[in-house]
Amino acid sequence: MTMAPERDENGRFMKTEPEARALPGSDSVHPLSKVLFGWVEHRRTPRLLLTVVVLVSIGLFSADFILDRHDYLSLAETTGFYAIWGFGSFALAVLAGWPLGYLLRRSEDYYGEAETRPKDTETGE
Amino acid sequence: MMSFLSSVNPGILLVVVGLIAVLLPWQRARQFALAAAPILGLVLLVSAERGVDLASAQVLGLDLVLFRVDSLSFIFALAFLIAAFLNAIYAMHTDDALQDGMAMAYAGAGIAATLAGDLMTLFIFWEITAVSSVFLILRAGTKAAYQAAMRYLVVQVLSGVLLLNGLVYVYGAGGDLSLTAFTSFSEPGAMLIFIAFAIKAAFPFLHNWLQDAYPKATVVGAVVLSAFTTKLAVYAFARMFPGFEILIWIGAVMTVFPVFFAVIENDLRKVLSYSLNNQLGFMICAIGIGTPLAINGAAGHAFAHIIYKGLLFMSMGAVLYRVGTTKASELGGLYKSMPWTTVFCLIGAMSISAFPLFSGFVAKSMTMSAVGSGGYTVVWLMLLFASAGVLEHSGIKIPYFTFFGHDAGHRVKEAPFNMLVAMGLAAFICIAIGLPMIGGLGYGWLYSLLPCTAAAAADVCLSSGEPIKVYQPYTLDHVITQLQLLVLAILAFMTLKRFGLYPPEKPGTILDSDWIYRKPGFGLARWSAEVWTKLGPALTRLSGVLAQRTFDRLEAAFSPRGALARGGLTTTMSVWAAVLLGLVMLIMLVV
Repeated sequence: MTMAPERDENGRFMKTEPEARALPGSDSVHPLSKVLFGWVEHRRTPRLLLTVVVLVSIGLFSADFILDRHDYLSLAETTGFYAIWGFGSFALAVLAGWPLGYLLRRSEDYYGEAETRPKDTETGE
Repeated sequence: MMSFLSSVNPGILLVVVGLIAVLLPWQRARQFALAAAPILGLVLLVSAERGVDLASAQVLGLDLVLFRVDSLSFIFALAFLIAAFLNAIYAMHTDDALQDGMAMAYAGAGIAATLAGDLMTLFIFWEITAVSSVFLILRAGTKAAYQAAMRYLVVQVLSGVLLLNGLVYVYGAGGDLSLTAFTSFSEPGAMLIFIAFAIKAAFPFLHNWLQDAYPKATVVGAVVLSAFTTKLAVYAFARMFPGFEILIWIGAVMTVFPVFFAVIENDLRKVLSYSLNNQLGFMICAIGIGTPLAINGAAGHAFAHIIYKGLLFMSMGAVLYRVGTTKASELGGLYKSMPWTTVFCLIGAMSISAFPLFSGFVAKSMTMSAVGSGGYTVVWLMLLFASAGVLEHSGIKIPYFTFFGHDAGHRVKEAPFNMLVAMGLAAFICIAIGLPMIGGLGYGWLYSLLPCTAAAAADVCLSSGEPIKVYQPYTLDHVITQLQLLVLAILAFMTLKRFGLYPPEKPGTILDSDWIYRKPGFGLARWSAEVWTKLGPALTRLSGVLAQRTFDRLEAAFSPRGALARGGLTTTMSVWAAVLLGLVMLIMLVV
């Protein structure tokens, strides 16, 4: 059995929460966003995404066992070279961010230029 | 009429339209003119005859070649014209005559410099790019932007002065200013011109003007700036220094070092500026290799890059316009409000990361193949590292922290319609030139524009002596290895995120080598000024006292009441006078 929609103080029917969110407003989500990216917020998405990427990675890595790859450099013909180099390079670049951050990060006003919002933004003037 | 039109350099046309636009008060008329000018320019460029001097002039005894097209300048000019058109559409929501006009004049100067047939014409438009583009930073209206604009202008003008010095040497040595490639640094003017180009191409330690100025420019300004200056320098290097081995190593360093800065930088427009540097590195490296495949790689990469980097700057501009910031620490979850911008940004991100089916893949793989086949193992490994790095900062960090990640709660309107149109067109080009050849569509169009093809080869293609071969980007090996690199890098991102090892986005200023002149250098300059303000009056007083004393002594000796007027020569003086006279006579005898 469905409940009748609630009424506001003027006697008008009030929108249910999902309906209200679909409309443009201060706290609304763009209708197209729901179609294109609605899955992002889903509870299972992170785990599913990781599973897919792991499976694709395994597939691509094992392709090296099947394919007889030819490359310009003999080093690159080693099994799993690109996969390992890709993973390692990315991890190195990101992990280097920890010590570099401590070493090179200063306050936003270090050069006296904390305010850099140009005047041609909607909220600039 | 037709013969007159065929001699009009499209760049000069854009400069003139830009300057007129500054004075046009009617917004719609101005914007129509600014969008129409690149289209007309495109017609002029495509119909121009190749390999001949189409317009020349004589100034101060110098023969200037104002318009000359070959297959190298064509692809750069074409990319610039497309960018100028997209930028004109992107700017339509604003009513800023000075910015609109100067953006067009800047684009025009970049195109005119590319289509110049001699060094002096190149220099003139080289300087106009500097002077016109500074307005795109100044119009941001902040104190930080003003100061960055002044630093930017100093560096850009310095580049022009060095170029002028260099061309004077070139002219002095051969009496010829034609754009002939140098063969070694020992040639007159080669080093000066190299440094002039190096400044504009933002070589390591000469790069700070870029990361300093671009993120402080206006929303529209950063998009416009991203296209022209640095790619003009890439064109100039390809024209004048192909096959210079030092460029291979400089390019490789340029691809690697920005990766580390981009990881820790919080301002996403600055991340894109570092990413710009990284991309330039690939092109510079390819020019250093100098084979036809490498020159094609540099030119094709520049074309694709102008579009996808513009697209990324446009998407960040749209976010800045609506939200008011591009700081990663203050963004997140914007896909809920700006789905179209999200999609376009993702297309730009996938293009710059060189995913198969996107423009970066068909462009960058030429450079990678040229470096690999040249046997430069270390350089190739550096470029491969940088390819994973690009994925990190431009492929993942930009879209993830802006549109996904932690929802910062911004609920804004989607980007203005004109911005979406510009982004949509750029995104279309990114895909259209990246696809495999299906029914006449795909990468073949880009490849037919490359400077070194069997049909039309620019002079620079022949300098290495290597034959021109047809290149196939979509081989199974290429696609599989590129996917291995990228997907495993994505896996690294997810793993690091899951274990909390990904450094959080924090607000702050990241120190770069410009610290040297912005802190100790500036301190030294201020200290010198302080010292001078105190020393100046002291020195004035001292010189006054010395002058007074000298005058007093002279007066005491020579005035009507002085020692000489009172009596004849003293004994000592007469002896000295005799000695001096004797000396003079001796010298005269000897001489």
